[in-house]
Order: sequence, then C-alpha cells, then structure tokens
Amino acid sequence: MPKRLLAFSDQTAIAGVGYTPFAKNSGVSTLTLACRAVLAALDDAGLSVDEVDGLATHRVGDSAAPTLVGPALGLMDLSWHLDQFGGGSVSHAVVGQAALAVATGMAETVVCYRAINARSEFRMGGTGRGVPVSPEVQYQAPYGYVAPPQQYAMYARAHMLKYGTKAEHFGLLAVTQRANAAKNPRALMRTPITLDDYLAGRWIAEPFRLLDCCLETDGACAVVVTTAERARALRRPPVLISAAAWGGGTTHLSGAGADPTVTAAAALAPRLYAQAGIGPGDVDVAELYDCFTYSVIVQLEDYGFCAKGEGGPYVASGATAAGGPLPVNTHGGFLSEGYVHGMNHIAEAVSQLRGDAGERQVPGAEVALSTAQPGYILPATSALILRRA
Amino acid sequence: MAGYRPERDRDSREWWERIGRGEFAVQVCDACGTARFPARAFCARCRTEGAHWREVAPEGVVESWIVNHQPFVPGLRAPYVVVMVRLAEVPGCFVYGNWRGLRPPEHGERVTASYTRVDADLTLVDWRPGP
Ligand SMILES: [Zn+2]
Repeated sequence: MPKRLLAFSDQTAIAGVGYTPFAKNSGVSTLTLACRAVLAALDDAGLSVDEVDGLATHRVGDSAAPTLVGPALGLMDLSWHLDQFGGGSVSHAVVGQAALAVATGMAETVVCYRAINARSEFRMGGTGRGVPVSPEVQYQAPYGYVAPPQQYAMYARAHMLKYGTKAEHFGLLAVTQRANAAKNPRALMRTPITLDDYLAGRWIAEPFRLLDCCLETDGACAVVVTTAERARALRRPPVLISAAAWGGGTTHLSGAGADPTVTAAAALAPRLYAQAGIGPGDVDVAELYDCFTYSVIVQLEDYGFCAKGEGGPYVASGATAAGGPLPVNTHGGFLSEGYVHGMNHIAEAVSQLRGDAGERQVPGAEVALSTAQPGYILPATSALILRRA
Repeated sequence: MAGYRPERDRDSREWWERIGRGEFAVQVCDACGTARFPARAFCARCRTEGAHWREVAPEGVVESWIVNHQPFVPGLRAPYVVVMVRLAEVPGCFVYGNWRGLRPPEHGERVTASYTRVDADLTLVDWRPGP
C-alpha cells in the first residue's frame, strides 16, 4: 500500500470545465469539437488561450491529437502534451497525467479534452469501424463476439448467475439515472422512464436490453488542470485533485483473471483512497463509468460502497438516487446525458463540488469519486478523487 | 458462421494449425510446467521463454453466455449464442465460441469442443453440452 503522496495530493486543481452541445450528429470535425470544448473550459476558468502550455487527450484513432489541436489554436510551443491510446479505461488517467505534469512543473496550465463523433462517425458499438487491433480478437471475433455491449453482457450474466443480480436491478439503475438527466439541460435523454419501459426495451445482447446501453454521442468535453495555488486566484471555486490512480485489468482470455465478476477497480480502490486519506464512506457523490448498467453495479461493489454481490440490491434500495446516501451519476451518465468517454463524468463531479449543478446539486458535496471503465476488455482502468478546496 | 476470419500472428499460427487437425492443444512452460492460453512467447509465471504444445481435453464448464439479437459482425445471422467456457485443464482461462446445443446453455454445465470446419484453411471451435 503506497503512503499518502504528499507531493501530489491536493497540489493541483481543476479550474474550469467546458462542453460542446451533445448531439446525434455534430456536423463538424472532431478537431472543431476539441477546439470548442478547450475554449469553453478556458472561458469558464477565466484564462486566455495563450496561458495554456499543455494539452492532453485519449483516443482510439477516432479524434484530433494535441499536436493538431495546439496549432489549430495558435499554440505552437506546448511545453507538455499527451496523446494517450485508449478508450474509457484511460479517461481519468489523462487528467491524472496532467496533474502529474503540473505538480512537477513540466506545465502550468493543461487542458484535457475528449472529442468524439461517436454517433455520426465512429460507433463503438460495432458498426462503422473495423474490428479492434489486439491479438486476442482472433479468438473472439470469428464467433461474432467483438463489441462492448456483448462483452459487458457476458460479464453481467456471470454476475447474475453468481450473485442473483436481476434485470430489475439494471432497470432501476437506468430509471434512476434518467431521473437525474431530467434535471440536466445538457442531457440528450430527459424524458423520465419506468421499470416497465426498461423491461419492454428490445434485446441487444441478452441479458442486455436497449436501455442497458449508453448513448453513442457526438460531442466534446474539456477540463483545465493547473496548480492549486493558481486555481485559487481564478474566477471559479477550485476543485482539488486529491488522488489519481491507475489500474490493470484483464481481458478474461489471458488467464489473469479467475473471476469475471471482479474488476480491476477492486485492486485500485485501496491505493486511490489511501492517496486521498479517505474511505468510501467519505464520498459524497460518485460519477461511475456507465457504458452499461452493469458497469455501475460492479463498481459500487469494487469501490467498497456495498458488499461483493450486493450492487443490485444497493441500487434497488434507492441508495444511489438523488437524496440517497451516495448519489451516483447525477448528470444522468452515459446512459442519459451522453457518452463522452469519461471526461463528462469528471466535469460533472467538478460542478457538484463547486456547488453549481443547479437542480441536481447534491447539498454540501465536498468529496467526489469519478471513475473510468473498470478494466474489462482493455486491461486498464483509472480513477480520481476530487475535493472542494 | 465466420463472418470474420481470424488474423493469425506469429504467436498463434500453431494453435490454429492444430485446431485445423482437430487437436486441442495449449502451450506448457518448459521451465515450470504452467499451461497457458492464448499462445505467446513468455510464461507469465516464471517469465521464461521455451514451451511445448500439449494436447488437453477439449472440455470445460459454462461460465456465462449471451444471446445476440443483432449481427455484431457482418455475415452473421441473429439470433446467435456466444458462450464463455472455463477450460478444465488451464486454470483461470476462458475461451469463447458459438453454442451448438439444441437448448440454451446452463450455468456450470460441462461442455465439449465441437469443431466447425469453415473451409480448407479455417476450423473454428464451438461448444456443445455434455462430456
Ligand atoms: Zn513458467
């Protein structure tokens, strides 16, 4: 167990967030989306473009690199940049890397962004793009097994078989997040749904129905990372980065993982909490990666909010709804707000800690957990703990 | 089936060749005897190269399965079932294939490999109920 990293915890902060609108077809390039989100985040922070000395993103061959976005905004000499390969597994790692760069002085003001036309150009769900490049794909794709909704459905059923998790648990999670989205002007899906609506949804890959799956979205989101000291002098209340952690995972083909119902988050969580000097009971609001309903249920267990196997009943108890002990995905998440691969979870956590989340504000929120894809499929995961300054 | 043809690499070629002969084999580490799948150069346990192929029982138990209601890969016809099998002789290892049972799979049931010859160059491993 690593000791608390005094040279890192709370040394950096998120000073601004920015979004483009979320849409089914943005009508513009990912380069344009990235520039718009970066400018919006800088405007939120009250910073000019010329003050930026770092840019960071992650992508899977589907978006504009920092080396493209920088010059497009007239930034010809970035002192630090990161072009991380990966999807939702590394979304939070990008902000963690930026915080490391700022904490060590490699850069002072880094804008982290994710820009995707995930609906109109590159659909993660299996159409419009080629089969992923990985040696393990050859043992799966010939059987028609290749897309994230299938892989997550496979793990979800394993969890149902082992622990008795039910379709109703997945459904109540989708219903709860939609209720949150109804209070979020950015959300793509704001019409409330019922458990019956969920159960009536068409099958995608059993046990998953339509409303188990997130919204493939066009859009971009960005956050500004700078020193805590500098953030205090800016326009917005600073949100401190108390902990950033990276984790492994398993493809469940390599023999590394004997239990498909446990994610890499279970190993990452203790070092994440230790870094921040807190435990799960101290978390006021959690934005948990929700590519699919099951992803949230397994993370509630692996991040220690309930016992292993109890994620479904925990959601059914109302614990994760607005007003419950642990409000989860207060913006509606990928299931109802939109799918920007993780950056929109971080931005929502920042809003909650600044107290500017409007109708969906969690009263008095001081500590937030925000997480990336918990380590299925691509064996990697990452997470952040953020704190009101 | 086989809307997608596997891209064999330098590690996996022999696996596919053996499957083409109806032989279900995995690599076994020369140094420590650990069996591994999929095929690769290093033993993750003792970190040495050097392995030999050993034919193992093409058997396992059903860990999970999905019923696909859309063709996620061009050339497939929905609905189709993909099953996740825990291999009996390679601890901690899962393999996938299409289900060749007349009824849905059951959790924990014993299954056996069923070879599906697509053409002269490609044989796939599916799974059927029973030993
Ligand atoms: Zn060995």
